[in-house]
Amino acid sequence: MSETASDRSTIDALRADFQVRLAAAGSDAAVKAIADEFLSRKSGSVTGLMKTLGTLAPDARREFGALVNALKQEIETAVEERRLALAAVRPPADAVDVTLPPRVRPVGRVHPLMQVRQQVEDIFAHMGYEILEGPEVEDDFHNFEALNMPPDHPARDMQDTLYLESPIAGATWGAHKGRTPDAQVRAATLLRTHTSAMQIRYMKTFPPPVRIIVPGRVYRRDNLDLTHTPNFQQFEGLVVGEGVTMADLKGTFEAMLTALFGDVKIRLRPSFFPYTEPSAEVDISCHKCAGVGCAICKQTGWLEILGSGMVHPAVFEAVGYDPDRVTGFAFGMGIERVAMLKYGVEDIRLFYENDVRFLEQFPAL
Amino acid sequence: MKVLLSWLRDFVDVPGEPEDIASTMSLRGFAVEGLERLDNDDAVIDFEVTGNRPDCMSVSGMAREVATAFGLQVRRPAVATNLRRAREEGPALHLASLKTVDRADIDVVIENPDLCPRYAGAVADVTIGPSPEWMQARLRAAGVRPTSTIVDITNYVLLELGQPMHAFDHARVGGSQIRVRTAQPGETLNTLDGKRRELSPEMLVIADADHAVAVAGVMGGADSEVTETTRTIVFESAHFAPLSVRRTSKALGLKTEASMRFERGTDPRLPLTAMERACALLEMIGAGASRGTVVDRYPVRVEPKVLKLRKARIAGLLGVAIADAEVRRVLEALGFALREVEAGWDVTVPTRRVDVSREVDLIEEIARHCGFDRIPATFPPLAVAPPPVDPRILRARQLRALAMAQGFSEAVTFGFTSAPAAEAFVTDEAVVPIKNPLSEAFAVLRPSLLPGLVESAGRNIRRGQRDVQLFEIGNRFTQQGGETQAIAFIWTGVGRAPHWSERTRETDFFDASSLVSTIVDAFDAFALLQPLGAPPSFLVAGQAAEVVADAKDSPDSTARARCRVGLVGRLTPAVGESLGLPAEVPAYVGELAIQPLATFLRASLKATAPPRVPSVDRDISILLDDTTAAQSVRDTVRAIALPHLVSLREFDRYAGKGIPEGKVSLSLRLTFRAPDRTLTDAEVQSAMDRVLSTLRDTHGAIQR
Repeated sequence: MSETASDRSTIDALRADFQVRLAAAGSDAAVKAIADEFLSRKSGSVTGLMKTLGTLAPDARREFGALVNALKQEIETAVEERRLALAAVRPPADAVDVTLPPRVRPVGRVHPLMQVRQQVEDIFAHMGYEILEGPEVEDDFHNFEALNMPPDHPARDMQDTLYLESPIAGATWGAHKGRTPDAQVRAATLLRTHTSAMQIRYMKTFPPPVRIIVPGRVYRRDNLDLTHTPNFQQFEGLVVGEGVTMADLKGTFEAMLTALFGDVKIRLRPSFFPYTEPSAEVDISCHKCAGVGCAICKQTGWLEILGSGMVHPAVFEAVGYDPDRVTGFAFGMGIERVAMLKYGVEDIRLFYENDVRFLEQFPAL
Repeated sequence: MKVLLSWLRDFVDVPGEPEDIASTMSLRGFAVEGLERLDNDDAVIDFEVTGNRPDCMSVSGMAREVATAFGLQVRRPAVATNLRRAREEGPALHLASLKTVDRADIDVVIENPDLCPRYAGAVADVTIGPSPEWMQARLRAAGVRPTSTIVDITNYVLLELGQPMHAFDHARVGGSQIRVRTAQPGETLNTLDGKRRELSPEMLVIADADHAVAVAGVMGGADSEVTETTRTIVFESAHFAPLSVRRTSKALGLKTEASMRFERGTDPRLPLTAMERACALLEMIGAGASRGTVVDRYPVRVEPKVLKLRKARIAGLLGVAIADAEVRRVLEALGFALREVEAGWDVTVPTRRVDVSREVDLIEEIARHCGFDRIPATFPPLAVAPPPVDPRILRARQLRALAMAQGFSEAVTFGFTSAPAAEAFVTDEAVVPIKNPLSEAFAVLRPSLLPGLVESAGRNIRRGQRDVQLFEIGNRFTQQGGETQAIAFIWTGVGRAPHWSERTRETDFFDASSLVSTIVDAFDAFALLQPLGAPPSFLVAGQAAEVVADAKDSPDSTARARCRVGLVGRLTPAVGESLGLPAEVPAYVGELAIQPLATFLRASLKATAPPRVPSVDRDISILLDDTTAAQSVRDTVRAIALPHLVSLREFDRYAGKGIPEGKVSLSLRLTFRAPDRTLTDAEVQSAMDRVLSTLRDTHGAIQR
């Protein structure tokens, strides 16, 4: 009997081993290997036990044989169940590894300067402004003279101008409302130093009221450095009508600058431009330090953002408006300046290098 | 303008710390560029004085602004009787008493009163040496190097009162005569800076009986310079016409403290006071004494302007009401005189205020000193409906979105380029040179957006980014074509993003032509690519095409003229290399003019329901000479004008094994449809027979 007991424990050990191994088998092949190990005719461990039956006494043979047979059937059933279970979770033949990288169709980026430009355009479009462009090659009248800067005016030195060797063919410009704002470029011999030139074209063509925004490229004879490029992008704004005041200028800037920079305060400082009177520099409270003072605002708490003022009566006279009847305000804002402050860019040249790694930081939407 | 605080306090008892004064004045129109505290409880504040305010390019001018801002009185220099006794007082605001005479030890003749409305000359006996320490310290604080008594006095008066002065060695003024005249043809002068100046007849000079001794308002001559041996001097204190000084200064390339003030405009009433101050200082520092007389020629008297100021206009412009008393306080503090009239004031403008010539200038003064922070924030009323956006801007936005969706990032490059770069990108038009370029790299306006894009792509490649897709929308310039808007692009490196499932390939012509056709299609036109036998030098022959836009077949298309809109092709490696793009990286470029494309957009569209009748597809493969352009096969089929052919598409092109040398197999899919019924096999077959026989007759095509 002692033999039987020890054989019984052999069977229990085999069963336990089988159960652990089968549970770990994750494929058909692994299951088959286990089934073979226990049941194969030649070398299966259960088969091996069967072969020992002949050496036992008849009683013991009967008793032990029943146990071995039971184990064999148990293993066969378990193997079949495991097979079915594995088949139930096996992926279909056309399954793919969804974690592999996608086949990307790359989407480009809008240049950060143009993102700012579009944002400013949208802000003003919602305020009912007309948005239009003007020529980059201008004449002296529109760029200087009509803006209260006659020849020899000292203020011309403030904007170092690039001139052409000889005039180029004039273009018709910004056909609009069925008309072209003072299309004739007289002797187009200079690169506009500011988008203000378009103010004159517009007012010479259309009567008041006026509410326009003119984005575009301007040129100055400035060497490349951290904060200067020989051409840059600007926004000109002009509002003219009866009863337009400096308070309207202030309210407009508050609306525009909070839309651009979030919750900032604005401040007007007296300044001088020949084509506005009074003239004002506009500051926003530093959005990085909330006005406390930091490196970006040079510890002042304020950032200079644009130049503005009430349109000078001499400008109205140059375009045939009656300065006693209408008033207005005008402003100019550098797009690079806004982009540098908004995105924390410290070197303006990055905008003109077009390194794709720089551009790809700005989301496509 | 560097202002020493203690000097400022000679004129106004402004209390407080220099930082407070600086921050207050920065909100009154004088931005502060720097503030330096000195050891002796003093400070230097560097104010930025805008170009319209020459009256503030002096301590006394700034003092008037400070006094107005802080509600204080300004002290004015006054005649003192015993100046030698005043020596101990340091820089007290004394004036010497001078008797105006017609002719003293010097005669003054103004030949051009329009260019020199006033000239005062006074003779003084002097000893030359160093000026006292207090004077030297003040000059240094203001950024002027002290030299010797007389020169220091003229600089001191310039800084203090804003009147430029000059001193001549009396012994070197021939005939004891000062003649203010224009230069004679060919006249020259050695100026104080040691340069020989060629003068021209528009330039105003100060001359003695024979020669020019100074360029009026700009710089004195070396020959009449005050030296250590000088015993007698002539002080000059004059008023010159701003434009004349400006032109002379520009023509000579000579900018001085004097010319900077004269060209902006000095006070015509100041020369005599300045002379009195200079003569007082002479005695106060023990450097000599004037002879008590002055010759003051003032042929053209400048009378102060009187401006109307309407009360209603103040609020009308500023959007805030300012009390009458406050208007009066501010303007009077600044030296304006007010006389009450109906609905406002008549305001007399001090002659030093060259910037105030209209009512609006007075309103600015009021706003400036009442504070811009008083102005409320309101919103201008919208009186008319806003018109639509400029189509140029709208179009640029739409193209930007389109190019972006095609995988291109937007570049912004400079509007100018170098002459060689420009020349490579023009064909029959002339580039536009800049007269005063910053450098060779910016010598001409860009005739094309491509040089900038090629440079940008090259920069990326050199930095390790080999696969670049960039576009730009902007203006380009030629002498004949003027300024035109275009979209251009460059594509380098691989033709599609690498993926584990497939082999990558380099970009090719058809990647480039795909963007071209997408853009042209977006304008509701159809892109025909025509091979360029002799392309411009920036495109490789055999991989260059002209892009012609043509109207699409559509029921309501009003026939638009087909027109050339641009070029597309492979960038010539040598041209790329000259702009920094490595030759081994393939690069394809294209550029399209936007204006002609925009003419294809229709103002109104009529939509049609999609056809309900099924179409029939027929595929054929034909053998052709491999030089036969796909376009000519397409044209041949279209020319048959089959009634129900709706589309024709090449879906395979094969040469190689099984195809004879010099031949190519082209597979075409023709789609037929009648608007109202299903076509019969026989109808389609007879159409196909016609296609095949025509292709055989025209191109020698053999069906495979």
